[in-house]
Amino acid sequence: MKKPLFSFLSSIKLTIILLIIIAVASIVGTIIPQQYEGGETFRHLSPGLVKVFNSLQLFDMYHSIWFIILMVLLSLNLIVCSLNRLPASWKLFSKIPSPDRKKPFENLQPESVILIEKDRNEVISGVEDFLRRKYKKFRRKDADRITYFYGEKGAYSNFGVYIIHLSILIIITGAIIGSLLGFEAFVNIPEGESTYTVHLTRQKGVKKLDFTVRCDKFAISFYDNGMPKEYRSNLSFLKDNNVILQGPLLVNHPITFNGIRFYQASYGTNPGGRAHITVRRENKQETTITIKQKDSFFLNEKNAKVTIVKIEKNFMSMGPAVLMHIQNPKGTVRLWIFKRIEQMKDRIPDLIKKVPTFNPGRYKPYYFELNRIEPNYYTGLQLSHDPGVAIVAIGSLFVILGLFVTFFSSHKRLWVRLDNQDGKTKISVGARSNKDPVGLKREVEYLLRHFSSIG
Amino acid sequence: MIINTVILSWVTFIYFGSAIFYIFKMVTGKEFWGSLASIIAFIGLIAQTAGLILRWLESYKMGIGHAPLSNLYESLIFFSWTIVLLYLIFEWRIKTKNLGAFVIPFAFFSMAFASLSVKSGIQPLIPALQSNWLISHVITCFFGYAALTIACGLGFMYLLKGLEKGEKPHLFFRLLPGREIVDELTYQSVVIGFIFLTLGIITGSVWAYSAWGSYWSWDPKETWSLITWLIYAAMLHSRFVRGWRGKRMAIMSIIGFASVLFTYFGVNYLPGLHSYF
Repeated sequence: MKKPLFSFLSSIKLTIILLIIIAVASIVGTIIPQQYEGGETFRHLSPGLVKVFNSLQLFDMYHSIWFIILMVLLSLNLIVCSLNRLPASWKLFSKIPSPDRKKPFENLQPESVILIEKDRNEVISGVEDFLRRKYKKFRRKDADRITYFYGEKGAYSNFGVYIIHLSILIIITGAIIGSLLGFEAFVNIPEGESTYTVHLTRQKGVKKLDFTVRCDKFAISFYDNGMPKEYRSNLSFLKDNNVILQGPLLVNHPITFNGIRFYQASYGTNPGGRAHITVRRENKQETTITIKQKDSFFLNEKNAKVTIVKIEKNFMSMGPAVLMHIQNPKGTVRLWIFKRIEQMKDRIPDLIKKVPTFNPGRYKPYYFELNRIEPNYYTGLQLSHDPGVAIVAIGSLFVILGLFVTFFSSHKRLWVRLDNQDGKTKISVGARSNKDPVGLKREVEYLLRHFSSIG
Repeated sequence: MIINTVILSWVTFIYFGSAIFYIFKMVTGKEFWGSLASIIAFIGLIAQTAGLILRWLESYKMGIGHAPLSNLYESLIFFSWTIVLLYLIFEWRIKTKNLGAFVIPFAFFSMAFASLSVKSGIQPLIPALQSNWLISHVITCFFGYAALTIACGLGFMYLLKGLEKGEKPHLFFRLLPGREIVDELTYQSVVIGFIFLTLGIITGSVWAYSAWGSYWSWDPKETWSLITWLIYAAMLHSRFVRGWRGKRMAIMSIIGFASVLFTYFGVNYLPGLHSYF
């Protein structure tokens, strides 16, 4: 039973079929919107089709059972294929072939052979010293009137491919660890508020953190042309009401706390906000206050309490406005104050007569001005906890190393043979390498140049 | 119009001239045209480098300084720059000028597309793009793309060479380098492209990890870059394991390049994070 399974897993046909299926599936996945990109497109599909897609997990394809099975099969295939070829590579790496092999010297190019005007005994030590210096793996063999040498370098080059395959397996392991033990979540926190519950992205549901996050402030700044320049959330991380860590969170500059990375992902505004109101009293100094909806302040002279009932960013298309109730022992006065009251008065000169509640000076002797409304931002944070990241990073580094070993090194093996020829010496160099034929040719030329200088 | 854009639109014409002369060289076999084409391409490269540097300086004058690698226009310009740079290095090493006719047109098309149909203004960087990883991501990706463009050019050359018939082929065919050489060169440029593509994917995922919260999120561009990577991985394996050579390699280098182009342009029509490129 073991053998057919092994040969199935070790076939390169399986690799090709798996790669094609994975590629096609990935293409499909880029066309069908995946769940986290929003449910908009689902509505255009018929309910029956949605059902089929759902049962095939096509809306979260890359995390579906069948996609994971494909990945596991590919990994097994990679392991088995590598193991299959490893013994041959190991042999190439560890075994030093005998120097007097015939094959390397068959069909030698004429330029791989030189003739030296000296006796073999005179050149032999020069050649040997040079080869010994150049090649750590070195052998000599003497026969009747012939001396053989063998030298090699770059034997590690045979393992480049295994380094790459192993590191791809490491990356896949890291990814699996991340998806099993890690999580992704998001949370919106209004300015000034804090939370310890976040919404899980993939698993759905809510997760409780063992600490609290507070958004102290959210700010957005723009370039002159209106494009966003910076999103910044000032966050505090609290445990038992003590601030442990505080810092600004920006896009591209996540904050890590308790093994969870926080990312600036989005933002928005809630109704309300803070109004900046200037209160003036005839002939007296003015004060400016910043106040939230439903909060109150006192007018000291008339024993009156002002409550902010509503803060509107754009009230009936007339711009920012605030509704105030001013209470004193005699009763309550309603008052709408507008940021653009002057323009409104220009447009409709008798506005204040017609609508007394729009009169900023209605509650005498006070006069109210709305300077601006500071929107009530919330910051959208993305959270991720991924214990597999370090493993993936290590795997990636080794992929690069493996690529360089595979493509930029070669296992060069050289056989050198010295023959007596009527008092002269014939030197032949036979060479083999697993890649880079040009480099091997250069190596042979280099050796022969050196040998002829001995003579 | 700002000076860098003027220079860069002139470079489009320079590359057009160079491509034409490379084709002259290929058809007539006269070395003169080849040398002229190389010199013109080199002048174009210098002018383009100057244009890119000016654009860089310009962005600092505007107070939004950043490397000119931040939108589709700039990436197209950089793409053609890497193609010409890599090509000239290649030409200098292999000492034949026949490949130019298959490669320089790509540099011209990229420039022409940038000049004619893409907004050329210098835009400030939105927060997500404010990252040094992004710069290394773009540089590695485009060097990879350029090497794979050269491989594709070589693939076409190989297939053209396959049309050669009879005892005494037309001069045109005799001037093309031998098939084994083209095959070896295709392999070498695919290797360079594959390594840069790998580096591009890795630097891109480091950037994603610091900007989006996940090193890999199966966004269409990521997925397509993986598909491209798998195609070239399959190509290299079929060479090493199965000993595929010649026509099959040529066809795969063209298929792989089609996938590169889709990763670069086609993905923009799918929803995802890379919509600004």
